[in-house]
Amino acid sequence: MKQGTFHVILFDSVSSALLAEKILKKNGLPFKIIPVPRHISSDCGVCIRFSTPERDRIETALTGRVEIQGICQL
Amino acid sequence: MTREIDARGLSCPQPVILTKKALEDHSEIVVIVDNETAQENVKRMAQSQGCKVTIERRKGDIHLIISKGCSCEIPDAAGSTQGPLVIVIGSDTMGRGDDELGSVLMKSFIHTLLETSPQADSIIFFNTGVRLAIQGSEVLEDLKTLTERGVKILVCGTCLGFFEIKDRLAAGIVSNMYDITETMTGAGRLVQI
Repeated sequence: MKQGTFHVILFDSVSSALLAEKILKKNGLPFKIIPVPRHISSDCGVCIRFSTPERDRIETALTGRVEIQGICQL
Repeated sequence: MTREIDARGLSCPQPVILTKKALEDHSEIVVIVDNETAQENVKRMAQSQGCKVTIERRKGDIHLIISKGCSCEIPDAAGSTQGPLVIVIGSDTMGRGDDELGSVLMKSFIHTLLETSPQADSIIFFNTGVRLAIQGSEVLEDLKTLTERGVKILVCGTCLGFFEIKDRLAAGIVSNMYDITETMTGAGRLVQI
């Protein structure tokens, strides 16, 4: 596993998470679908985890295209 | 304050019931019984609750000193079933219905296997499940990590052949129906996805 810090993007629904997954894949950005960590609550059970340095690129790719509920550091 | 329960002359299961009730409100109790059957029953119940039990004989009576929270034998939260934990994955999606959703759930599930205990002893992939173990699979890194941690990953060779992806296997070992069946029938617990 890669070490380092991670952030997660939370969504209001699974369909938003699926849409975000598609967009990020299309853009070739590195990320991972994981269940929402127990200590963070979200309306949707899955979220997208990424390595913190990727934050800008990932946020730019998703902004205006998917509704993001929040971004948290892990 | 140590609570004392005199259970002499009481018949089974009375001493056990009294002990259980007293343990709800007290962290240390002394139970006095006058026979070995009662002693064993009380002792077994207390130990099953994770309590430490010391037995002393005084003037023909038996004193059981029971204390909570200091036992070395804390029962495994996940149960103490004997035998290997085997996870069987017969599809590249989790659950039936929507494949897109099922694919996300499967990724989420396999990621969670890295973070939860007890760790599986073996994971078996067959049918479209074998696609999870080949090059380009989004869960490949997770499967490699599981392998490094000692999880045995068996991938159905017949299935790899059927989908013509045998040369792309990237995690686990090619397996046959004998190994797969023996692993499943030899499991202490079997989780089927």
